[in-house]
Amino acid sequence: MGLILPAVPTTDPEWLVVEEGFTLAREHELESLFAIGNGYAGSRASLAEGSALSAPATVVAGVFDSAMVPGLVPVADWTRLLVTIDGCPLRLDQGRNLEHRRVLDMRQGMLWREWRHQDGASRITGLRELRFASLADRHLLVQSMTLTAEDYSAAVSIDAAPSGPAIHVTNSGVTVAAAVQTRLIHAADSSAGSTEPPPDHLRLEIGPGEICRLDRVVALYTSRDTSEPLETARRHAQRAIEDIAGITAQHRDVWLARWKTSDIRVEGDPAAQRALRLAIYHLVSAANPRDDRVSIGARGLSGTAYKGHVFWDTDIFMLPFFTLTYPEAARALLMYRYHTLPAARAKAARLGYRGALYAWESTDSGKEVTPPFVVAPDGEVIRILTGEQEQHISADVAFAVWSYWEATEDECFLIEAGAEILIETARFWASRATREEDGRYHIRGVIGPDEYHETVDDNAYTNGLARWNLQVAAEVARLGAERWPDQWRALSRRLGLGSEEPREWLRVARNLYTGFDEQTGLFEQFQGYFALEDINLAAFASRTAPMDVLLGRERIRRSKIIKQPDVVMLIYLLWEQLAPEVRRVNFEYYEPRCGHGSSLSPAIHALLAARLGNIALAERYFRQAAEIDLANNMGNAAGGIHAAAMGGLWQAAVFGFAGLRLTREGPEPRPNLPPSWRSLSMRVHWRGRWHDIKVPESSGDGWKQAGTAP
Amino acid sequence: MSEPIILIPLDGSEHALAALPVAKVLGDVERASLRIFHVADRRPAAGELPPTLRLAESALDDSRIDLSVGEPAAEILLIAGEIKPRLIVMCTHTAAKREKVLGSTAMNVVRNAACPVVLVAPQRGSIPWQLQHVLVPHDGTPTTSAALPPVAELARHAGAELLLAHVAEAKPAPGEPGSFTTPGYVDQPQHEWPAWSSEFIKRVACICPLDHLHVRTFLAHGDPAAEILRLAREQSTDLIARSLGEERGKRRVRRSSEGS
Repeated sequence: MGLILPAVPTTDPEWLVVEEGFTLAREHELESLFAIGNGYAGSRASLAEGSALSAPATVVAGVFDSAMVPGLVPVADWTRLLVTIDGCPLRLDQGRNLEHRRVLDMRQGMLWREWRHQDGASRITGLRELRFASLADRHLLVQSMTLTAEDYSAAVSIDAAPSGPAIHVTNSGVTVAAAVQTRLIHAADSSAGSTEPPPDHLRLEIGPGEICRLDRVVALYTSRDTSEPLETARRHAQRAIEDIAGITAQHRDVWLARWKTSDIRVEGDPAAQRALRLAIYHLVSAANPRDDRVSIGARGLSGTAYKGHVFWDTDIFMLPFFTLTYPEAARALLMYRYHTLPAARAKAARLGYRGALYAWESTDSGKEVTPPFVVAPDGEVIRILTGEQEQHISADVAFAVWSYWEATEDECFLIEAGAEILIETARFWASRATREEDGRYHIRGVIGPDEYHETVDDNAYTNGLARWNLQVAAEVARLGAERWPDQWRALSRRLGLGSEEPREWLRVARNLYTGFDEQTGLFEQFQGYFALEDINLAAFASRTAPMDVLLGRERIRRSKIIKQPDVVMLIYLLWEQLAPEVRRVNFEYYEPRCGHGSSLSPAIHALLAARLGNIALAERYFRQAAEIDLANNMGNAAGGIHAAAMGGLWQAAVFGFAGLRLTREGPEPRPNLPPSWRSLSMRVHWRGRWHDIKVPESSGDGWKQAGTAP
Repeated sequence: MSEPIILIPLDGSEHALAALPVAKVLGDVERASLRIFHVADRRPAAGELPPTLRLAESALDDSRIDLSVGEPAAEILLIAGEIKPRLIVMCTHTAAKREKVLGSTAMNVVRNAACPVVLVAPQRGSIPWQLQHVLVPHDGTPTTSAALPPVAELARHAGAELLLAHVAEAKPAPGEPGSFTTPGYVDQPQHEWPAWSSEFIKRVACICPLDHLHVRTFLAHGDPAAEILRLAREQSTDLIARSLGEERGKRRVRRSSEGS
C-alpha cells in the first residue's frame, strides 16, 4: 500500500471537465456538475472542508420521506474532512491558494481535486483528493486523499467524522445505514503505515516533504435491500477498506467497459465532445440496472432539487440513450413504470377513467406527488395543474415501452410487463376521449408539453400520442395472440381483455381529433391556438429570462408563445408517419414561436433542425442545450444537473446530426453534420447486436458495421 | 475605537432639513453622533449659524456644527475624508434645482465619498422616519453582493427586513462567473421558484453574511427603475439601497430614502 492515490487521472482533455481556481458563488453548480453517482447513490461534489456556500448531500435512489410533497432524503455527509496544521484550518478562504483545480474525469468516473495552499505562516501544503461512487460495487462510495507537507514540520489533525448519524430512518419507515471506514497511512509509521483502529479524529506529526494518505469508504444499505442494513453496511465497509486499490481498479474497469458501448466520439469539436460525454456520464451515474423499483429523477442523483421526482423526462428524453446503449438499465427504468401501474390505475379511477394514468410527478410509490401550488418570487400564488392535466405522460410511458421492445425484441419484458402498460394506457385514452356531435373523439381540458397554455382542448401532442398509444396497444394484442398464445390468453384473462376492446381502441384512434389542416399541413397545437396573439420573439432574442417571466403568465396565455416543443415534439416522435412537407412546415411555424422556457427545449430543436437540414440553426440549439449546465454565469445547475436536457443532447447528436433511423434492417445513419465535425461515431444496440456507426465528413453518407451478438 | 459619526451637510435651505429626521434615526441605529456641516461663502458671525441653517435650537441638542468656506461638494468630501463618517445623510437637491433628481452637490458627493451616502428626497419634509424595510435591487452578480455588507449591517442594527429585488430584463446574463440571475429555464415552477428564491439568498449570504436578518426575495420584470419603485411602494420600503457598481469600482453603496 503506497502513499500515492490508488489511480491516476485521465490526461486527454476531451474526457475532462476542469474548474480552475475558486469562485465561491459557483459552488452549488459545481457540486452538481461534478457529482458522483452509480444509480444506487449519488453524492454532490462539495468541498471536503466546506465553504460558505457548500451544500453537501448524498442521496440513495428511491429513498423518500413521506411529507405532503415527498422528496429524496440526504444521508450523513461522508465526504467531510477538516484538516488543521498546528491548529490552523486548511481552507480555501484562508491563506493563499497557489493552485486549486477540480477535475471531473468522466472516462474513469472519478472526481479529482488538486490544491496547493500557503497558510499564514507561509507553510505550503499539497492536497490531492479522489472520489468515486463505485460502478462495480454500487453500495460503495470511496474517497482517498494525500496531504504533503512541502516545507514544514507540524502536527496535522484530520477530523473525518461524518456529519450525521450512521442510521437514518425516514418518516416513511425506510432505514438507511451508512457505515464509514477510514484509514490513515503515513510513511513515518513503521507499523505497515496505517493507524489502527481508525478514529474519526486523526493526528500525526509530519515533516518536510512527507506525505500522508487517508482512505475512506462508506457502504450504504437500506431496509429495502436487507433486514439488517447497518450490520451489512459495516461488514461491507470493513472488507472494502482493506482493498482500496482493487476496488478502484474494478470501478475504473466497469466505467471503461461502459464507455465502450455508450461513448459518442466527435472529431473536430472538442466542446461538443466534452458536453456529450458529460451528458453520458451523468446519465450512467443515475441509472441502476439492478434496481427496477426506482427511476431517475429530473436532476438525477446530483442534487435534491425537484425532490428526486420522476417526470416524462425519463421516458422520452433519457430512455433512448439507455435503450440503445445500456438496455439492461432501460429495462429496469421501464419496470419501475410496471411496478407503479397500480398507482396509475388508481389515479385514472379517481378521475373517473379506466386504465392507467401515470403521475405527472412520482416517487417510489408511483402516486401523484405534484405540489398543488407555489408562491412565485413576484408574490403570485400559482395553482399547479400539471398533476391533474398533463396526461400525455401515459402515452409517453407507452412510447418508451414500445421503443424498447422494437430495439431489443425483449419478449420476456413485453409479455410480463410491457404489454400490460400498453393495454392499460390505451384503456385510459379510450375512456378519456369522448365522442361528440361532430362524430370525432376529443380530449378536452389538458396540458400538453407546452405548459404555458393550460386546460386546453385537443392538444396536438396529447391526441397524437394517445392515438399512437391506442394503435400500438391493438398491435401488441394482435402480436401477443399470434406469437405467444398461451401467455397472451393468461394475460388477457387477468386483465379482462376481450377481443372487442382492441377494435374499440382502433375505432377511437381513427376518429380522434388531430388538429391537422390538410390545406396548410399544420397541426393546430390546440383548439383556438391559431387565434391567439402573435408576439415576435426576435425582439427578446438576447434574453436569459423565460418569456413568462418577462411578459407575465396571463399575457403568455393569450399569446402563441410556447414553452417548449409540442407539435414539434410530436413531429419528432412520429417522424416516420408524417410526410416530409408536414414535418417542415410545422417546424418552420412553431420554432420561431418557441420561448424555450424549458431545459428540454433546445436539444429537440437542434435535433429537428439537423434532420431538416438547417445545420446552422441546429448547431446554435445544440450549443444552447450544452450550456444549460455548463454555463458559469447563470447558475442553472445549482440544485442538480438537468438529466433530461442531457438525454436530449445525446438524442440531438444521434438522431439529429447522425440522423440515425431505426429501421427493420437496422440502424441507418442519414448524417447532417455541422461543418466543423469531421466525424461522429457511436455504438448502438439493436435487436441483439451491437452496431458501430460512424458518420464521416466527406461522403455525405454514414457507414455502419454490425457487431457481434452480445 | 472612536464613536461613529453621521455627517449631515445642510446648505441653509428648507429642503435640506429633510435629511434631519432620517439622520436622527440612523444615528440611533448606528449609535453615532450627528455632525452638521455647512459650507458657506463667508464665515458667519457667532450665533448666526443656526438661523442661517433654519435649525431649531432643539435640533442641536446632541449635534455639533462644523463650518467651512468654499465649494460645497469639495468641502463635504474633504471633511468626510478627515472624520471618516459611518454615513453621509443629505438631501437630493434644493428646491431651485427641482428639474434634476439629483443636484450637483449630491451627485458629486455620491460619486466620490468613501462611505455610504443616504439621499433624502426634500419633499419628505420633517415627517418622522423609521427604518423597517430596506429594499436592495440586485443584479445577481457576486460583485453586487460584495457591496452589500454596510446595508446588511444597517438593517441588522435597525432590526429591519431586507428585501432583495431582482428585475428580469430581456438582456444577456452578466458575464461574471457565479452570477445568479432569473432562471433561464423554469421547467416546473412548483420546484423552480422555491429553489430559486432560496439559492438567490444563499448566493448573497455566502458573500455578504445575512445572519440575524429577515430576508425576502422579489422577482419583477419590466423597466428596472419603475419596478423598483413599485416594489418600494408595495412593500412600504423606507430605504432603497444600491451599489453604484462599475461607476465606483463596485465597492460602495448609495442609499436613498423613499420620498413618501
